[in-house]
Amino acid sequence: MDLAQNLISGVAVGCIYALAALGFVLIYKSSRVINFANGQLIAIGAFLAYALAVWVGLPVLLAMLLAMLLTAGLGFLVERFFLRRLVGQPIISVIMVTIGLASVLDGLMYLTPFGSGNFTFPQFLPPGGLNLGGVSISYPQLLAIGFTVVFLLIFGWFFQRSILGIAMRAVADDQMASMSLGVSVEKVFALAWAVAGLAAASAGIVVGAVSGLNQDGLIAIGLAVFPAVILGGLDSVPGAVVGGIVIGILQSLSTAYLDGLLAQVGLVGGGSQYAVPFVVLLIMLWFKPHGLFGTEEIERV
Amino acid sequence: MRNPWAQTGNYRTSYAQDTTIFFNYREILSVGLLLVALCLLPLFLERSQVLVLNFILIYAIAVLGLNITTGYAGLISVGQAAFMGVGAYTVALSAPSLPFWLTIPLGGLVAALAGFLVGIPSLRVKHLYLALATLAFQEIFVWVVGRSPALAQGSAIPVEMRNFLGLEITFRNHNYFWYYVILFVLVVLVVAWRNLLRGKYGRALIAVRDNDRAADAMGMDPGRTKLFAFALGAFYGGVAGGLLAYMQRAVVVEEFTLVRSVALLAMAIVGGLGTVVGSILGPAFIEFLRLGVERLSEWMKANPFIQSITPAGVDVASALLPLSFGLVIVLFLMFEPRGLYNWWRLVRSYFRNWPFRY
Amino acid sequence: MKRAMTLALAVTIGLLGLVLAQGRTVTLLWSGAITGPTSDVGGPYAAGIEDYCRYANEQRLIPNVTLNCIVRDDQYQNPNTQRILEEALDRSKPAIYLGYSTGAMLQLKPLIQEVKLPTIPASAHIGLIDPPNNQYFFLPVSSYSEQVVALMEYINRSEKNARIALVVNPSPFGRAVVDHARRAAQRLGQTIVDVREVGGGNLDNTALLRALDAAGAQYIIHQNVAGPVANILKDAKRLGLDRKIKQMGAVYTGGSDLIRLAGDAAEGYLWASSYYTLDENTPGIALQRQLATRYNRSADILNSTNYTAGMLAAAIAIEAMKRAAQRFSGRIDNDTVYQSIIGMNGPNAFKPGFAVSTKAGIEIDFTRSEQTGAEGLRVLEVRGGKFVPITDPFTSALFRQVRNP
Repeated sequence: MDLAQNLISGVAVGCIYALAALGFVLIYKSSRVINFANGQLIAIGAFLAYALAVWVGLPVLLAMLLAMLLTAGLGFLVERFFLRRLVGQPIISVIMVTIGLASVLDGLMYLTPFGSGNFTFPQFLPPGGLNLGGVSISYPQLLAIGFTVVFLLIFGWFFQRSILGIAMRAVADDQMASMSLGVSVEKVFALAWAVAGLAAASAGIVVGAVSGLNQDGLIAIGLAVFPAVILGGLDSVPGAVVGGIVIGILQSLSTAYLDGLLAQVGLVGGGSQYAVPFVVLLIMLWFKPHGLFGTEEIERV
Repeated sequence: MRNPWAQTGNYRTSYAQDTTIFFNYREILSVGLLLVALCLLPLFLERSQVLVLNFILIYAIAVLGLNITTGYAGLISVGQAAFMGVGAYTVALSAPSLPFWLTIPLGGLVAALAGFLVGIPSLRVKHLYLALATLAFQEIFVWVVGRSPALAQGSAIPVEMRNFLGLEITFRNHNYFWYYVILFVLVVLVVAWRNLLRGKYGRALIAVRDNDRAADAMGMDPGRTKLFAFALGAFYGGVAGGLLAYMQRAVVVEEFTLVRSVALLAMAIVGGLGTVVGSILGPAFIEFLRLGVERLSEWMKANPFIQSITPAGVDVASALLPLSFGLVIVLFLMFEPRGLYNWWRLVRSYFRNWPFRY
Repeated sequence: MKRAMTLALAVTIGLLGLVLAQGRTVTLLWSGAITGPTSDVGGPYAAGIEDYCRYANEQRLIPNVTLNCIVRDDQYQNPNTQRILEEALDRSKPAIYLGYSTGAMLQLKPLIQEVKLPTIPASAHIGLIDPPNNQYFFLPVSSYSEQVVALMEYINRSEKNARIALVVNPSPFGRAVVDHARRAAQRLGQTIVDVREVGGGNLDNTALLRALDAAGAQYIIHQNVAGPVANILKDAKRLGLDRKIKQMGAVYTGGSDLIRLAGDAAEGYLWASSYYTLDENTPGIALQRQLATRYNRSADILNSTNYTAGMLAAAIAIEAMKRAAQRFSGRIDNDTVYQSIIGMNGPNAFKPGFAVSTKAGIEIDFTRSEQTGAEGLRVLEVRGGKFVPITDPFTSALFRQVRNP
């Protein structure tokens, strides 16, 4: 029973990582940019939802929807004003710009009361959680799983059926070729950032519902995503979800079983859940760098 | 050649001339003058101002290392602070039994070993993936230190040196003493950097960075080259960390977290990637920016008018630091991607070619 | 040019400082995390110091002396903390230093010892007042370790041979208590079944709680900040472990933040704290309410224990300066302030009404060797969404035995 419970809890946490990873993967897939400002987008999405729900007084669900759209807009603006100017620059520059942006967004959050302190959403889910045959899961965690499923379905449809989605795949596959075929690469990049904002905000909202809103805590989720995406493959949407869930489960299992073992070898205090994801990351980089589902780069001279 | 003191342009005619450390005699003279000036500088400064210089020079050493991995080899590293940490903890553990002129290089060597291990994936993967390997190392380093009773679990380990060749080191001269030590180490490491990278090896790194397959085809081993770059960059980081340990009198793990790694990367970018001058200008710029912004914040906090127009619960002054730090990175990348080094180059070429325009 | 300007500026500031000093201005320095990690603690703490300083100046608490309170943001970065301190040592010559983070304070111990600057840190890490280099550190309230040991003694009142798990923050701040708790458990016949480190972003604690339950833990003692504790409380309630395992924690785990974050799940949580709550009518708390209104502080800041804590630290510092002026004919510097802090005992103990008093009626007292201010603490319980004291103030006798084995 314990194992089942640990697995389910791991899946729930993993879904939060998956949500946070989706936007990250989309950006990487379309423009090969590693977005170090993902955590800030997550935080801003959550704070916008709080502000709309508490300060403006909108119904919570409407506030959340609106916050997701606004964060999508922010993603779009970031791409339009900062990243588009860097097209053609070395990839280091683009990555560093996202690091700079992360700091700018931090500063902007300090301009609001959200810069310090803890906040909680108004109660919109019943307290506690479901209990199915001894396996318990909280309502915010169910929300995380629900969001993940919905996003996955939407993304699946989008990439397989819609023109824009197909354009995005084309750009990811071969930027030059798709440009010459009349695909607007700029539009695709902007869209990727907007959708990334959307996914990030949804992750932020779920984290807010699970554990309250605190700037540092929310931003930290952005960092937790890296092992998930490497495991799943940097450019694979299903990979992000699988990677997120596997990392979530690993964290849960390492708290349950590994912490005790570590104490016996002299590493006191447990907390292996914080290190295990990064150890997995290193191992993946050593042995299977393109992840479980990532495309291996085939280079031609 | 005509009178070497009167050169007004590029007179180099051979590869050998192109790889010389100095461009002409005037340059040797100006570097010499600069060194003398740097040696005399503390005489005109307060203790705490020397402290600021010390931090800048220590960061400059770490950034020099970063400029090998990121600047020359093109491998983004967000783990330089962890390499500093490896150096600092090596120093902390060996300081009771060894003199500082042994512990600091030892710290560098241990860090280089760590860099070698972290760089192993570079034999297989490229660019971005390596950035994540360094990220993983950064996080694992902090985690392991926090769980190791031998390292005081990240709590302070004192590193005190009260006496050097009969000179008593107290609060009054601590900063000055370490200023000269750090300056000496920096000069040695800069010379080593220039020597190493101006020749075959530096060109190999550039070749691997720009096109590793082409480099491979020309007989270089990209994997080994990158691995070496990683180890070397980490060595510089380790030395910087060791100096920091002595300077701060104690090692705590909070000094060596991701925030510091990112700040070092920002310093390298702002200064100009892959340059000595940039490695020093970058840290100086970021640190002086911080001082300036802090002063501005103080002024804003004390100014009743500004206080009266900001809504309650909003602390504009505190927001300025992250905001300005981020904006500087973004603006440099957008408008001056070659960093402060490029400004320096423009100024210098103006003087070099004087009285001609080019 | 830039350097010349910096130099000129520095000289001007230095001269200005000199002029001001002759006009009887005395400096009190604080730097801490107003932004960056732990800013949810640092923000209200800074506000408490600022407000108490303004109040002291407005009321002329020290006759003929204007206080120059330097309150600066170091972003939780030790190099900034060090620079701000050394700058002040060069320029404004602070008579007392109010510090902040555990790491930076531990790092600065040798420097502070050398410059003989009395220091009142926000961190109550016992290592700060343990040798070496501990002479000038004074904790305003009992240390984290003492709080945890006191909680263990409280458990022992109702249940012998209890099985206890420790959950601590993954930082020197959190780990400070582990050794003392182990020693205290041995004396009390209790068992520490497990020690776990849990930090922010603990999205699910099911595995943790199940493991602690399986190990037979009846109690969890937290040394952490409010966020992670709130998450564990919520998960415990959902798993139905809230009735099986009683949870409690040291000073930074509790307060209004915990209740806001954990909601119903906080009910029954026990908190060791030396501070009075906002519902109590003491001179200190009344002053806190009054100043929060006067200086337009938000409700969040007013409700924060950290606001009280900041005020208490500033109150001790300013009281020590005032006494220094009286005792040493107006000379207020690090030396005289140190003398008046260590003279703050017996009939000269300080009673501002921010913290509880021991049985002898003493709130804040220091001697040369006893560097803890408020030694009394109470256990409070969350009842109906509020922390309510459930014990009289007491001092942990056991802690003094296990402090230095």
